[in-house]
Amino acid sequence: MSSPASPSDPIKRPKKAPSAPKQALFAKIFHWINLISLLLMLTSGLQIYNANPVFGGRAGWHFPAFVTLGGWLAGGRHWHFAAMWLFAMNLLIYGIYIFITRRWKRRYASSSDVQVLQTGTNQKRRNYAWHRVVYTAIMPVLVLAIASGLAMYKPAQFHWLSGLFINWQILRTVHFITVPIVVLFTLIHSLLALKVGQFRLVKSMFT
Amino acid sequence: MQSPRRPFTRRHLLQLSGLSGAGLLLNACGAPLYSDQVNQAFEPLNQRVEKIILKPQSLVPEYSASAVNPEALLINSIDGTPEIDPTTFQLIIDGAVNRPMQLSLADLQSMPLTSMIIRHVCVEGWAAIVQWGGIRLQDLAALVQPKPEARYVYFQSADGYYESWDLPSALHPQTLMAYKKNGAPLPAENGAPLRLASPIKLGYKQSKWVTRISFTADLMDRQGYWVDKGYEWFAGL
Repeated sequence: MSSPASPSDPIKRPKKAPSAPKQALFAKIFHWINLISLLLMLTSGLQIYNANPVFGGRAGWHFPAFVTLGGWLAGGRHWHFAAMWLFAMNLLIYGIYIFITRRWKRRYASSSDVQVLQTGTNQKRRNYAWHRVVYTAIMPVLVLAIASGLAMYKPAQFHWLSGLFINWQILRTVHFITVPIVVLFTLIHSLLALKVGQFRLVKSMFT
Repeated sequence: MQSPRRPFTRRHLLQLSGLSGAGLLLNACGAPLYSDQVNQAFEPLNQRVEKIILKPQSLVPEYSASAVNPEALLINSIDGTPEIDPTTFQLIIDGAVNRPMQLSLADLQSMPLTSMIIRHVCVEGWAAIVQWGGIRLQDLAALVQPKPEARYVYFQSADGYYESWDLPSALHPQTLMAYKKNGAPLPAENGAPLRLASPIKLGYKQSKWVTRISFTADLMDRQGYWVDKGYEWFAGL
């Protein structure tokens, strides 16, 4: 990721593109697996949703088939409970990685980003702060998706976890709500990445 | 840095369309797409984990009577509601046991009644807190004395439904052969005269209208009505 221009930097840069931003290989692998496993989790999850919609039950609105994966409830479950390993293990390993390398301190939103958003006037620095805040904020949502999913998958053996969600309808709603949040995040995150580092930043994460 | 303010270049658009095209292909309009292969690859792992986290003899915490929500328990069956005369009903318990038995409803009702308020979870996604009353399957097992080689329990139902359970789950203290629901006699559509009820398995494992319980050493080809159609066999909660 390119470091943001210092707000007080008076030097005009030549109109030549700066050197391409570089991403750590580990970060790129995490990002790819996260993207693919989330796509599998979301589409198979909507297949499961359709068996008994969270809102309205059997009479409720159903998702169209083209956003679902698995073809029927059992197929959706097979995909969901396979991709969950990919998704959860990837997130866990990445969590350990950013903890050990202290990456979470450097690459995630900090108090300085919050300060910039409150009082900063440099638009570039503000965009960069927004970018960091947004991708930082999705992390707890991903953890919540796993926690609420586990609470629904094994409500008897993880009774204490299910209990945190008060009742079944709230538990189902919380788990489902992570879907629109992730979709919305993907959109905003892509736009912010383009705004902060143009296409070369996006490319640096994918190649 | 003065690159043109055009965040969506043609190149980017092409990439996006490639991604969404891949998504369409992947989903193939809701096709099962390799779900059987995915299941074969991952179900052994999931089942191993389910067996590890199952605590065979510890009770799942129960709910208070005020938490019972009768209207939430939906009715599913494969072929309506079979008509069973409770006065002539006989439960057969056989297979790998020392003392095979036939028990009438009166015999069953003379045994110790266990009541529990648990969450019934359907594979479809809905759940209902229900009070069930019945006989512990482990009490019935104590009567018929399964042989050491018994590892599975088969349940045959009057409507042609069938299921099989692992022995530890079947002998869980909250696995009941229930004949009461929410303090009243079990209604016919809920499985009267006798059905399985348990907090540790999904609803489709909890056979209604059970007429025969067989202990077996091996898992047979016919593992369960929905299992044979593609649903998970263990289906632990």
